[in-house]
Amino acid sequence: MKIIGRTTWAIPGGRIPLNSTGPEPDFTSNEELCILNAGYQDAKVEITVFYESRDPVGPYRITVPAKRTRHVRFNDLIAPEAMPLDTDYACIVDSDVAIVVQFNRRDTSRAENALMGVMAFPVD
Amino acid sequence: MQQEWTNWSGSLRFTPGSTETPSDEEELAQLVCRAASDGRTVRAAGAGHSSSPLVQTEDILVSMERFRGVEHHDPGAREVTVKSGMMLREANRAFLDLGLALENLGDVDLQSLVGAIGTGTHGTGRRFHILSHHLIGGRLVNGRGEIVEFPMERDSEFVLAARVALGALGIFTALRLRLVPAFRLHRREWCAHIEDCLADLDRLIEENRNFDFYWYPRSDEAKLRTLNFPEEDQKTTIPYARCVKEMSGWSGEVIPRQRELRFDEIEFFFPAEAGPRCFREVRKRVKARHRKSVGWRVLYRTIAADNAYLSGAHSRDSVTISLHQNNTLPYDEYFRDIEHIFRDYGGRPHWGKKHYLKAGDLRPLYPMWDRFLELRQRMDPEGVFLNPYLSELLGCGRTAPLHA
Repeated sequence: MKIIGRTTWAIPGGRIPLNSTGPEPDFTSNEELCILNAGYQDAKVEITVFYESRDPVGPYRITVPAKRTRHVRFNDLIAPEAMPLDTDYACIVDSDVAIVVQFNRRDTSRAENALMGVMAFPVD
Repeated sequence: MQQEWTNWSGSLRFTPGSTETPSDEEELAQLVCRAASDGRTVRAAGAGHSSSPLVQTEDILVSMERFRGVEHHDPGAREVTVKSGMMLREANRAFLDLGLALENLGDVDLQSLVGAIGTGTHGTGRRFHILSHHLIGGRLVNGRGEIVEFPMERDSEFVLAARVALGALGIFTALRLRLVPAFRLHRREWCAHIEDCLADLDRLIEENRNFDFYWYPRSDEAKLRTLNFPEEDQKTTIPYARCVKEMSGWSGEVIPRQRELRFDEIEFFFPAEAGPRCFREVRKRVKARHRKSVGWRVLYRTIAADNAYLSGAHSRDSVTISLHQNNTLPYDEYFRDIEHIFRDYGGRPHWGKKHYLKAGDLRPLYPMWDRFLELRQRMDPEGVFLNPYLSELLGCGRTAPLHA
């Protein structure tokens, strides 16, 4: 199989909705990183989060095993620190091997759920 | 120039006037004697894992790092006397070498043994006490610089005060402990929804030697931890949960875990029967008001009643609830707000963690409060071991002139 993806990705438009409607965790408002590692090596991924009015925070470290996908909610990241909800942020995703990155937002602030999924921007 | 002292989480920082590292009991006694006659104050530092300002001083800070090792072992009585500067992890290994163990441990073993005892540190398990319950005697240097021995056989009342003493009775130099035979445990961690866990809580607490859970406020999921004797753990089932991790080993190896991520914490003890209601109210409040900035967990544990004067579990089987916040994020507003709920349920604070109570709030919570203060006055009449925080906490001040 061909190696696919990039090693650096950017997501500029993050803002995790504060409120949720419906049973949790299925209906928790969230933003999610979906990572595909189609290669033969585990991907060591580092996420750096940028804010409007404070220094970047990170890296948040996750591993995506070879030939696997992993979906990670930004809501659940706590190391090095929990991300604030309802606050503008952007992030850079760096990996030691090529990966493909998608960004999803699920907003259940109202009972009529809103779902959005976009590809992250491949930097390199 | 004096070095700044920092605790584990980084939320407590101060620069002592001087730092002394006595090599033995006599040297420590002379140091305290001099301090008393000069009108100075002395505080002893442990490992710095606590985040309350019990240790904070602008005067003399004593390091007990040279007080290490086992001083005496009575195999028949399962008694061990250790020097007071031992770290908890080091003590666990030394006890295991003797075929002995503490009956229970907390989440981490980064504390000094004397610090864990002095602040009423505990693990989880409805049949198990705070760590201090093992203390049956020892020696300390009192505020006059005298070396005082306090065997349980001669002065049981003093031992009950000494079990949770906040460093206010003197500086311990030796701790005599009655232990249990070393034992192995099987540890499992499970993921489940918090509502399923709460519906099954009584059974989980009853059927497991050690049980606790962490609730994650941004998903409403919980991490459940069970520890049982390996030969008895085969029957443990939690049908609605999935087991995500398991391991077996000696108690000192599997109860405490590594904690790389640093945090600040507030924890209160409640009557056991009030625990579930209190937790539900905390959960509701966190979701309604604090979820924007709080992503980390809330911990629920159980502890058996004891009779140490300042123990959080004094005279009542207890539940503890603790809040965690990353040490790089603000905690004050969150902890203060939830403390109101803790107080509504008759909560008593963990002495080594953050809380905002003062002597007037605390006295009604501890039936033996006044007796503890009488003993404290007897041991330290001039307030050599008081710092401003302890004076406010206990409601007692220095009687000697402050050092100029």
